[in-house]
Amino acid sequence: MNQVAKYLPILPVLLAYAILFALGHTVSGTWQLVATLLFYCALGQAFNIFLGMTGYVDFGYVAFMGMGTYGMALAITKLAHVPELGAVVIVIGFALALLMATLLSLAVGAVALRLRGAYFAIATIGVNEGFRFLIEGARIWNGAEGMIFTAQLNEILGTERASRLMTYWADVMVLVIAVLAAAVTLFYMRNRVGYALTALREDEDAAKVMGINVTKYKIIAFITSACFAGLVGAASWALKTPYVFPPEVFEIHYTVEAIIIVMLGGAGTLLGPLVGGLIYGISKYYLSIFLPGLQLLVFAPVIIVIIIMFPEGVVGMLRQRTRNTVLGRFIV
Amino acid sequence: MLNVKRIESGYGAMQVLWQPSIDVKQGTITSLLGPNGVGKSTLLHTIFGSIEPWGGEVYYDGENVTRVPTHKKVEMGIALVPEGKHLFPNMTVYENLSMGAYRKRALADKEESLELVYALFPRLKERTKQLAGSMSGGEQQMVTISRALMTRPKLIMLDEPSQGLAPKLVGEVFDTIQKMRDEIGLTILLIEQNSDASLEAADFVYVMHEGIIKAQGTPDQIKGSTEIREAYLGI
Ligand SMILES: Nc1ncnc2c1ncn2[C@@H]1O[C@H](COP(=O)(O)OP(=O)(O)OP(=O)(O)O)[C@@H](O)[C@H]1O
Ligand SMILES: [Mg+2]
Repeated sequence: MNQVAKYLPILPVLLAYAILFALGHTVSGTWQLVATLLFYCALGQAFNIFLGMTGYVDFGYVAFMGMGTYGMALAITKLAHVPELGAVVIVIGFALALLMATLLSLAVGAVALRLRGAYFAIATIGVNEGFRFLIEGARIWNGAEGMIFTAQLNEILGTERASRLMTYWADVMVLVIAVLAAAVTLFYMRNRVGYALTALREDEDAAKVMGINVTKYKIIAFITSACFAGLVGAASWALKTPYVFPPEVFEIHYTVEAIIIVMLGGAGTLLGPLVGGLIYGISKYYLSIFLPGLQLLVFAPVIIVIIIMFPEGVVGMLRQRTRNTVLGRFIV
Repeated sequence: MLNVKRIESGYGAMQVLWQPSIDVKQGTITSLLGPNGVGKSTLLHTIFGSIEPWGGEVYYDGENVTRVPTHKKVEMGIALVPEGKHLFPNMTVYENLSMGAYRKRALADKEESLELVYALFPRLKERTKQLAGSMSGGEQQMVTISRALMTRPKLIMLDEPSQGLAPKLVGEVFDTIQKMRDEIGLTILLIEQNSDASLEAADFVYVMHEGIIKAQGTPDQIKGSTEIREAYLGI
């Protein structure tokens, strides 16, 4: 496979996000929906790098989004009074989000990733809650009261630009993050990291036998995935709604949504999180309009049925069907 | 080439290996015999490092490798073919073999290794595009062994390679193992339940029981001892 052909599958991803973006722009009143969909797609793309590529389930995943949110919140609140910085504060916020997500993922990964499959999953369940209680109990970063920083954001950018950021640019940033996560996924898939992850997902013992340093690659996937979660948190939570409360940013519900999106679309595939995010986001949106309050009742069984019928996910199934065809070259 | 000295390990709190010592000489087939559950597989995994040793030492080419991580051992030329089927069923034969050449040292010699493997198992050459999971049991075993050869080992440890195979195929597997010694010059540590075939192929034999080496000697010595045969081998 030559270099260009290797990376062609990025085209359908770019096309899909471009269509989504154009739709939100041209059809009035759809931006809100598009923004929601972008959030779910980005969440899926980010989590897929770990869950999809390694086959390990991290129930504490949302904590990395929480770290990103805090990173951005801290940058904005601490640096608002430095007028020379201006919008650079947002860049610093993203850097801090990355740093904090990386540090937490290193700490969690170094301990938990030594455990196999189910034991790892169990170990991570506690991460969220533990971290939340630590923040609240030790009154770190304002403890349980959280932080509200709309005023500081206005101070940095001016009211008008701040509100444009919250209602539009934050969503565009989420889009960029989703595309970046997809690009990194494809890059990994086409290189040694990806071969190693495929091997360890399929059979960890066999991977070891081939001389693959399984711990190293698990940690690489874990940190990468955590970094993207941090970015999503910083953009979609901190910038879109400039406040952070521990119970909200450590809400396990988001981890569950991320798992559903990845499984629905096809774990370990490139297009899966996008397809899963769209299916999940659209169904959730319309169910909440037509069956308010009942959506979970309808939603849960439908998702269970889909996952049982297509254990490989929608894209996983398509990929099998199109194996060795021209179309198959784009569906990965 | 490989010297295992008074090694100890187990699972959780349960000790399985009670200081067995074995030596594997370069260019030989050394066979480890013993009934079910006595710790044969555990010994291989402890040598390889996929189970952490509790005590004792492992020397490879004179170097103490007791605590060397598995991926470094592969780099040094130690290969393990674990018990049971550990190939990638959804990948083609060729993809499986390529995975074996994962490490840079093996990747550099990939073409050469492929030729060697196809010479050893001509059947695989015709099946490169077949999904490994759709092959017969015997063919899958060939792929598993071949994949280990793709790592460019000097020492290969085989855990019951003839398990579950028809008698005719068992003979083929043992022929191949002897070829690996004679034609490629590999050093082989072989675990087998199949005592008869094993005694034919081996240069030296260890008999294990409850995590201890109970007897050792040339195949003739082992065959000649009614005591050992009856007590541990059931033949
Ligand atoms: N993963 C494991 N966890 C706990 N105990 C184990 C594990 N694997 C093996 N054991 C136990 O350790 C002991 C030795 O097992 P081992 O697999 O080394 O035996 P073996 O000699 O290879 O047997 P067989 O010929 O049946 O393959 C057995 O009592 C077995 O039940
Ligand atoms: Mg065994």
